[in-house]
This record gives sequence, structure tokens and C-alpha cells, in this order.
Amino acid sequence: MKVVVDGVTLDLPPGTSAIDAVFAAGSDVPYFCSQPYMSPIGACRMCLAKVGAPRKDRDGSWVLDEETGEPKIFWFPNLMATCTTAVMDGMVVDTRSEQVKAAQHGMVEFTLINHPLDCPVCDKGGACELQDRAYEYGEGLSRFVFDKRHQEKHHALSDLITLDRERCIHCKRCVRYFEEVPGDEVLDFIERGGHTYIGTLEEGLPSNFTGNITDICPVGALLDTTSRFRGRNWEYHHTETTSLDDASGSAIVVDGRTGRIERIKAGHQPEINKTWIDDGTRFGHEYADAPDRVRRPLVRHNGRLVETDWDDALGYVAARLRELNGRDVGVAIRADATLEEGVAARALADHLGSGQLDHAPRPAGGVIAPGGQARLQELAVAGAILVVGDVTEEVPIVDLRIKDALRGVTPPALFDHGAPIADLRLKERAPRRAEILTVAAPVRVDLMRHAGRSARYPAGGEHAFFRALTALAEGGTPDAEALGMPLEAATAAVAGLTKAETAVVVLGGWVLASLQATEAALHFCRAVGAKPMPLGPMANSYGLELVGVAPSHARYAYGGMLAGAKALILSQLDPAIDPAMAERLGQLELLVVHASFLTATAKLADVVLPAATGYEKDGTVVNLEGRMLPVRAAPVDAGEARDLTGLVKAFGEAAGQRLEGRSVKSARRWLKKSLGVDLDALPGLGAWAPAKRGPARVAVAAHEAPAHGGALRVPTMVRAEVLDRNPHLLAATGGLALGLHPDDAAELKLRAGDEVTVPVAGVPRRLVVRPSEAVPAGLATVPATPDEPVGLVPIDLKQIALERRALEVA
Amino acid sequence: MSAVADKPAAITSRFDPRFEVTLYRHVGVDGAHTLEHYRARGGYRAAEKALTTMTPTQVIDEVKASGLRGRGGAGFPAGLKWSFMPPIDGRQRFIVCNGDESEPGSFKDRYLMEDDPHQLIEGMLIAGWAIQATIGILYVRGEYYLAYERMRAAIAEARAAGLLGRGVFATEAEGEGDEATPASPGFDFDIILHRGAGAYICGEETALMNSFEGLRANPRLKPPFPAQAGVYGRPTTINNVESFCSVTHIIGRGAAWYAAMGTDDSKGTKLYQLSGPVARPGVYEMPMGATFRELIFDLGGGPTEPAKAIIPGGSSTPMLPWSDETLDLPMDYGTMAKVGSMLGTGGVIVVPESQCMVDAMANVVRFYAHESCGKCTPCREGVATWLPKMYQKLLAGLGTREDLTLMEEMVRNLRGTAFCPLADACAMPVAASFQHFRHEYEHLVDHGQPKYPTVSRWAE
Repeated sequence: MKVVVDGVTLDLPPGTSAIDAVFAAGSDVPYFCSQPYMSPIGACRMCLAKVGAPRKDRDGSWVLDEETGEPKIFWFPNLMATCTTAVMDGMVVDTRSEQVKAAQHGMVEFTLINHPLDCPVCDKGGACELQDRAYEYGEGLSRFVFDKRHQEKHHALSDLITLDRERCIHCKRCVRYFEEVPGDEVLDFIERGGHTYIGTLEEGLPSNFTGNITDICPVGALLDTTSRFRGRNWEYHHTETTSLDDASGSAIVVDGRTGRIERIKAGHQPEINKTWIDDGTRFGHEYADAPDRVRRPLVRHNGRLVETDWDDALGYVAARLRELNGRDVGVAIRADATLEEGVAARALADHLGSGQLDHAPRPAGGVIAPGGQARLQELAVAGAILVVGDVTEEVPIVDLRIKDALRGVTPPALFDHGAPIADLRLKERAPRRAEILTVAAPVRVDLMRHAGRSARYPAGGEHAFFRALTALAEGGTPDAEALGMPLEAATAAVAGLTKAETAVVVLGGWVLASLQATEAALHFCRAVGAKPMPLGPMANSYGLELVGVAPSHARYAYGGMLAGAKALILSQLDPAIDPAMAERLGQLELLVVHASFLTATAKLADVVLPAATGYEKDGTVVNLEGRMLPVRAAPVDAGEARDLTGLVKAFGEAAGQRLEGRSVKSARRWLKKSLGVDLDALPGLGAWAPAKRGPARVAVAAHEAPAHGGALRVPTMVRAEVLDRNPHLLAATGGLALGLHPDDAAELKLRAGDEVTVPVAGVPRRLVVRPSEAVPAGLATVPATPDEPVGLVPIDLKQIALERRALEVA
Repeated sequence: MSAVADKPAAITSRFDPRFEVTLYRHVGVDGAHTLEHYRARGGYRAAEKALTTMTPTQVIDEVKASGLRGRGGAGFPAGLKWSFMPPIDGRQRFIVCNGDESEPGSFKDRYLMEDDPHQLIEGMLIAGWAIQATIGILYVRGEYYLAYERMRAAIAEARAAGLLGRGVFATEAEGEGDEATPASPGFDFDIILHRGAGAYICGEETALMNSFEGLRANPRLKPPFPAQAGVYGRPTTINNVESFCSVTHIIGRGAAWYAAMGTDDSKGTKLYQLSGPVARPGVYEMPMGATFRELIFDLGGGPTEPAKAIIPGGSSTPMLPWSDETLDLPMDYGTMAKVGSMLGTGGVIVVPESQCMVDAMANVVRFYAHESCGKCTPCREGVATWLPKMYQKLLAGLGTREDLTLMEEMVRNLRGTAFCPLADACAMPVAASFQHFRHEYEHLVDHGQPKYPTVSRWAE
């Protein structure tokens, strides 16, 4: 459609909003209420412009201007809010006339009369949309001589978000966000007229996605409590990187100041997380600055770990390894290590001549190589979705993309100015296509609220569940009990998946924990023509598989090396939380631990090397859909912490070798040679990982987890292993929960909030009792960690020890 | 003119012998609210005629031909609005009656609902048939408790009599062979009665729907218009109480009868409400196009004290100065637009000479400030915050000439910039008061005292 904005002629697709036409033409109008990926509502009235369009006669020809002979432009009688106006063929938009300018001045003046203008003490100062727009479009003068509205200035909406009600300009972005994006309606306007304010009737904000409202707030009303009063915006160093908290590959911006991470904001990755991240990713950074970070290498002298430097520590390691046969040495890294670190680990194992190389946690079902799985953009437009697992906790962004599919609006085409500012296809309170979604899990999970059909199959019954579904798909008789939902519902779900053009089956950790279940799930996907979306256990599970961080033989996998190796080099892993394993590790000839904290394993180590966290390294990860994404180091003061490439470099120097992967650059040379990918030239949106793997090491599945027991280890949005070091998240979540059915809790004489210690699969876990109907009777849920991955494990509730009683609430 | 000359002149005066009181025929009559009373006087025959002898399209065409324009204030042609409904696609359709009459100066719907509820039910039934909506929603203003009670009782009566519910006007098969009339299943139609909670904004059609759905009463974005996505996102048509009541008679007596009344662009009979210092304030049914003079003097008995302005259609319409020219204006949509005002709901308010105009406007502004929903900036900050504070300042005798300029500018900024018409509803009368009575504002700021001291107008 031909549209003329301030004399610039554009050709735009129908349905484009006039505000996007204005920006596409390089003109500008101010706006506060519009926000990409959310419905335009026309509330702030800032984007007013003079709009006109030609008209057609009854015979279909344009009404012509008598003087010029051109189609005559009929101007709308009032100025139009461009965000809610769709372009029409031949439309003319004028953003520069005196009439428009006067209206803009007037709106800025109205917006500011009740705004406190406390910019000098406001955290948003310098990065504030209102500040910018007031400078650009205001008259710099207030004629409002009365008292401004006085309201609460430090209202804690939750443990994570603070609301300043005086600064609020009522754009409604936050209220709409909760309804439209995660579908958790926890915030609304209260009162009316000039007394309107936002508030909640809940305790806090019960949603996994609350922090996004601090990003989209156009003023300093909604602030991230972890970073409030910590710095001014111009002092922050912004690092655009990828989150390593889960396998989604969400783009984040790490804002650091004087060597400390102060806050994390969502980055814009239109094909992955759009502009949203979950609260675990946003607020879970405080651990990087915990006082007990290991900042210098430690070497054991006379039974005590003593600080030293890298050269000394690695000199010691190299010397000790020379005494050992390399084949007895195991190397294992955590699955959120970067591709480059994977190359380094490979090089280290190759140098030692060891086949004992692995990444962990690696589910029994294996990690499906990139290529076959569904992409997030496909998930977002899927016509039928089956979720087995708890995505809202495991990979929360997948939850949000499923909700995109429920809205039934395809991802927007991007303009030069980014995602459409006002996507007119999005509506407030639009109906959701709940019928396309089926959610199955052994416990009640949050996504079931949005699902047309929910199934609760018996814990550990993933294999039987998929076999029953496959039987339905293939015309057989299913085991009705294994389905966990009425037969008609299951039939409808299978029919929906079969019929839909794009059907996606999301496989959570509980499925992947079992080889049999994974195979049954993949078989089912083939039977109904659906694409699987396995949720990788950690941020780079796919990438490490790709570069071949794998043992040469099944018995040399992580579990095997823990049991059999004489020496171990472990990066960021902590097997010694299991007392039995700790005993075994204590007997090793050499234990080298590369860790950020003095973990149980590090305490047993001969050498502890300070490890960089995910915020402190450069590299690349491959997310769950097979997309390579850049990881960039934020300027954080982490002492002498290094990533694995740094470790390999120091080791090589000590051993007199120049190993592959001794730096990010060196690792990338290897990746270019072996996989044909040039990671130095990675585009902003990332690139698809090649389907081929690196030079073969034998890739084998890890050992099958025991599929019995009374405890289900469940994924958590927060990183359970560092929750104690994330004080704000700890307060918000109330600690790691032991989920029990209320009847079971009553039988154990436990109250909500009691702190207990209980052995789970042999590991004593300190947990907070949380009775909930979501958990079936006879089952307990405990949070998973990288060292205690999701799945069904034994628990000894008889040995539960009450550490602290919860306060009795009258 | 020759073609027109054959036709009899349109009825534009209540005193035209051809005119008869129709909508308000039963108002003020004891017991008129019962079904028995209503049926005894021909009630529900129009509905029976529509449902048993007319197709929905014929009903819509009849309403179009009558020239009925919506009586809620905007005056949109009712038949045209009905024809915007999308084709039947199996989705639930709704017909909504806006009984949230809240505009100061308007009080006609109240008596329609209190004294003649069946007339409204019949109109809704006909409209439901016309747009094939099986559910009617009647949203009654919260303060109208008697109206609510009467409507509730009337709906129950109608249900008991089979005039609401399944198979309204269903017929059995009769006769045999070629002359048989087949059985008709009748029309399924029922009315949900909903009481508002006292917010003016709920009279805005989309805010009303939000309120009905249990949501915050903010106006919704248009498009989509209610015909595309109304109540619960389903196709919906919404009209005013008086519009539905008019439909009853348009179908009962024919479009031609209706169109014989009124002026070129405004047809039919209308309820005008007269308030202010006049001898006999109240609701008067008159044909469209009757003059202010007829209403105020011939029916209302004339002002009891000298008057200086007429507000023609409820508090949101710009006032007109009191003059012979104004008094001779016909009260129809076109004429009011031509003189820069609006017919609105036909709520005519006479403003006496002794009433300080600044004080009167302060009262109007205070009302709109209280009723602003707070959704959009100009209304929340301008109407609900700044403007009432400016009036407070003026009335406290602290105003300056600059303040008057500021207020005029502010009002200009409010005109046509807000999300819904509420801000305009506040800005238009204020602008008109500056246009016609700036001297009173100036007197107040120059002397610190209003020209006409405010006195209590409650009866002694």
C-alpha cells in the first residue's frame, strides 16, 4: 500500500499501523503505551498525527482534487493516534504541522503534571522514555501550579520489583503484559480517573515472568529491586550476551558497573525470546558476586588448600598427571560450558590420551543432534502442541512461545526499526486457542491452566504414556491408566497432532531421563507427523554433543569415570554432594576441580581452579533448537577466574604444549576446520549449527537413571544449586521446596514453611516444606540441580529431620 | 418542490392534531408496568407480527425506512447499525440495551423502564429477531433501582407467558393437505438483566460491555466495532432504551407512520427532557423538529426567572445563548450540528440569568472529573485533575486572566485528542461557556467575586 509520511512515499503491507509507517519513513512520533509484541491500545495519546486518505467514488474511481487533478486527500476531523490506525492505500500522514506539534506539547504537559520529575534520584534517569520524550516534544515549562498527586513511592510489588506509584504514567504496559504475554493476570489498575494506580490483590506477583515489566516500564515506576539505587544508567557497561541459565538461548543484556553485575535486562532476539526473559534469568545473577567466590587457584599443602597462582597450580597438576597414565584420568564438564570450552576439554583429554571425557548432566535418552527438532518459531505458530513436562520451570521461554501459539498470531515481520511498535493483529483480552494445547506431567504444572487438555500420568510413566498415545495413533488399544486423562481427551489430542500442519511435541527432562521413554516419544512423533522439541538439560547440551565432548566407550561416561578413574578433572560439577561419592573422590590420586565456589567436591580437591561464571566468558552456545548464539564476557571483577580455555592454556604452558582450545580464538580455528563454522562472523540472530558432528569420538548415551522411588526431581526456573547465593530470588521463592501432598505432609506432622533435611537418592537435601494439591499423594517433589538431574529417585521420608519450624500463622 | 407538495407536511409539533403520544403512552399510569395492562392495550402484537410474518431482513429494512436514529446521543441510524452484523456463522450473537442513562439532564429512559418495561422487552425481542441474536442483555444504571425491580418483574412475567425463553411465538401445524400451515419452532430469546454500579463511563458502549463481562469499565479500541467483536468478542448490536421502544412502534404501526414525523434528517417521535427553572420541568414526547419554544413555553410553562442559556442535549452538549433565534430552532440532529451543538439525548437544561456560569461549569467539570476512567492521558490528567483544580482556583477568587487563557488552551488540547468521547463531553461545554460567557469568567478573576453569587437552589 502506498503511504506518504511527511512527504516520504512508502510501500507497506496492509495491516501496518500508521506509527510503524511513521518510523519506517524515518519520522518520529512519541509514544508510551505501545510496546512491541503487545496490543496497541491508544491510551497515552502521544502519537497523534494528522492523517488523511483519498476516497473512492461510487464507481470505484478516486475522488480527484479539482485544482491538481490528483486524488483528493480527506483529512480526518481529529488528530489520529497513529498506533491504533491502520494504513490505507494512499494515506497521508503529517507529523510535523503546527497542529500536531501543539497536540504533542499538550500531551507532554498533561503527562507531566502528576509526574514527580524526580529524575535526579530516579534509577531510570538517562534511560527514561518519558525524560527523552519530554525533552524532545515538551515545552520545557510547566503551568501546573497545584500539588501533584501523592502516592506510595516504595511499594514492594514483590520481593523482586518495587513500584513508585507517583512516577507511573498509566501507560498500562505492565497490566497488558501480564494478561497478554504470560497469561498470568496478577496486576491491574485500581480506582479510576486521576486516582488510578496499579496494584495486585495477590501476595507478591505469582508468575515466573514478572521482571519483564521493569524493562517495558517507560518511566522509573517499576524497578528491579536487585539493582535499585545501585548506579546511574550512563555508568553501566552493557554487554549483549546469551543466557546460560537454560537451553533457550535467550538474549540478555548484562549491565555491570565497577566490576560487578548490577542487573540483567532482556535482549531482543525476535526468533527466540523476543524481548522477554524469565525471573530466574533476570534476577539470578547475584551469585556471581557472592563473597565466597573462589577468586584465586588453591593447591592442597599438608592437607589444607592454600592460595597460589595459575602457573604454580597448573605446574603442580601437570607434574602430577605425568606420574599417572593419562588413560586413568577422567575429564568432565558441566553442560553449560561453551563450544569453545568443549573444544578445550577435548584437547585436554586428547593430550592426556584419555577416553574418559563427558559433559554432564547428560540424560539417559541422549541429546538429539541439531537438525531434527522443532524450532521456536515453529512452536510459536504450531496448530497442535503436546507438552510432557513442566516447561514453565524447565525452559520458561518455551512456555511463552507456546502462549504465542495459543494467541494464534504469527510472529510479525520486522521493520528496519525492529519489531512493529504497534502490531494491530494483537488485541487486549483476545481469546486463546486452548484447544490446541495438551499438557501432561505426573504433577500439576502451571501450563495446565492454559491447556485445553491436561493429563496426570503416574510418576515415571513417560514410557507407558507415549506407548499408549502411539497405540491411539496407530489404531490400537491404549493402556487407559497410563494416559492419565480421559480416553476421549487423549484421542482428541492425538487427532489434533495428526491433523495440524505444524505439530510439536515438547519433551521435558522427565522424558529424556529415560532412553526407553525418549525412544517411545520419538516413535510417537513419527506416528503423528509431529516435530519433537527436546528441552536440552543445560544451555549448551547440544553444542557439546556437536563438538564431541563424549567418551570413547560407554563405560567411560561421566558415571563410569566417577566410579573408575584414578584422577579426575571436573569443571563446575559437584558430585561430592553425595556422601558416598565424596568418600570415593577422597581416595582419588588426583582431583582437580574448576569451580566458582568451594563446593563439596572442591573441598576434597587437590587443586581448585577459579572458574568464570556464564557472565564472565566469551564463546558460543547451541540452544535447544540448534541455533549457535554468542556469549560475551561482561566486565566483572572475578579475581583470577578463567573459563576452561584459560585452564587449558595454563595447563599447556605447564606441560610445554600448545593445545587446541587454549583460547577462544584457537578453539574457533578448530571449529572452523572441523565443523566449517566461522564463529567470529556469527550474525546477530545467531546461525544454525551444522548437522554434522565434529571428528568422531564414540557418542553414547549416559547410564539409565533409576526409574523408581518416591521423589520426583523437578526442574526449577531458578538455578537451585546457587539459590542460596541469590538473596532476592531466595526471598521471592521462599527457598527450595519439598513438595508434598497435604495429606502426606499432615501424616509427617509437617507444616508449610518447615525447614527439613531429607536424604534424596542418598544426598541430604535441605528443603522447605510446601504442601500442595499439585503433588499426588505418595509422591514428593524436590528441585533438580545439574548434579541431581530431573527424574524419579528414591527418598527416605522416614529419615526426615526437622531443622526449623515455620512460624505459626494465626 | 412539486414532488413534495403532494405529500402531507411532516409532523413537527406536539400540537399537530395528527400527533399522538406513543412512547410515553403508559408512563404515569398506575399499574402500567404489568403484562396484563400492556397486553390489554395491544402489547406484543408488534413482536408477533415481526416474528411470525417478517424475515429479519424485512425488519431491518423497515427500521431503515423509518429513519430512526439512535436515541443514546450520537444519533447513528439504527437500521444501518443493525445491518453491520456479520453473516450468521454459528457464533452466539447478542443484542444489548444500554440502560445506563447517566448524562446529567437526561431522565427519559428511567420512566420507560419503570412504567412501561414490556414496551422495551418487546423492542428488544424484535431487534433480537432482526439480528438473530438469541440473548439480550439489559444493562440498567445502578441508581435506577425501581427500574431494575420493574424490569426484573416484567422479564419474569414475560418468561412465564412464553414471550421470552424457548420458542417464542411457536405455532403448531394446522390443517391438512395443501392448505396446511407448517409448525413454526418460534424464536429462542431471553434477556439477561444486569445492574451497573454507578459509573458514567459504562454508558459508553464498549465500556458497558467490559463492565458486563466483569472487567474494568474502560472503553475498548474501535475497530473492531461491536458488530464484529462485542460482548465476549461475539457479534453484538447495542442500542439505547428509547431506540428499542421506538422499534416496537415502528414495526407495529409501520415505517411510514414513523417517518411522517420529524424533519429531513431526523424522523419520528422523541422524548425531550426539560430541567432548570421552568414552571413544569419533566419529560415531554414531541415529534422531531419541534422548537425549544414549544418545549420550554408551551409545554414547560416558561422559565420562572430570566434565563441566559439553553443546554440542548444533556450536560455534555455545548450551550446556546438564550435568544429568540435559539428558541425558534427546531430540535433535530442537523440543526443542532449546524449551530455548533448537539441534540444528544434531548436533555434540555435552562440556565437562569442568576446562575454564575463559572460555578455551573465547575459543577459540570467536577462531574466528568469524577467519572473519568483514567485510561488515557488527556482525560485522566486534563479532565480529572487539572481542569477541576483550575475551577477551584477561580471560584476561590485566586484566578488571573492568564489562567483563563491557560484553560482555553487546555480545553483546545482536550478536544478530539482523547480515547473516547468523555473528554470531549467535558471540554465542549467548557469551550462553549468561554465562547458565550467569557465576561463572567473575566468578572470573577478581576473582582475576585462572581458576578452572580452562588445561592442554594434546593427548594426552600
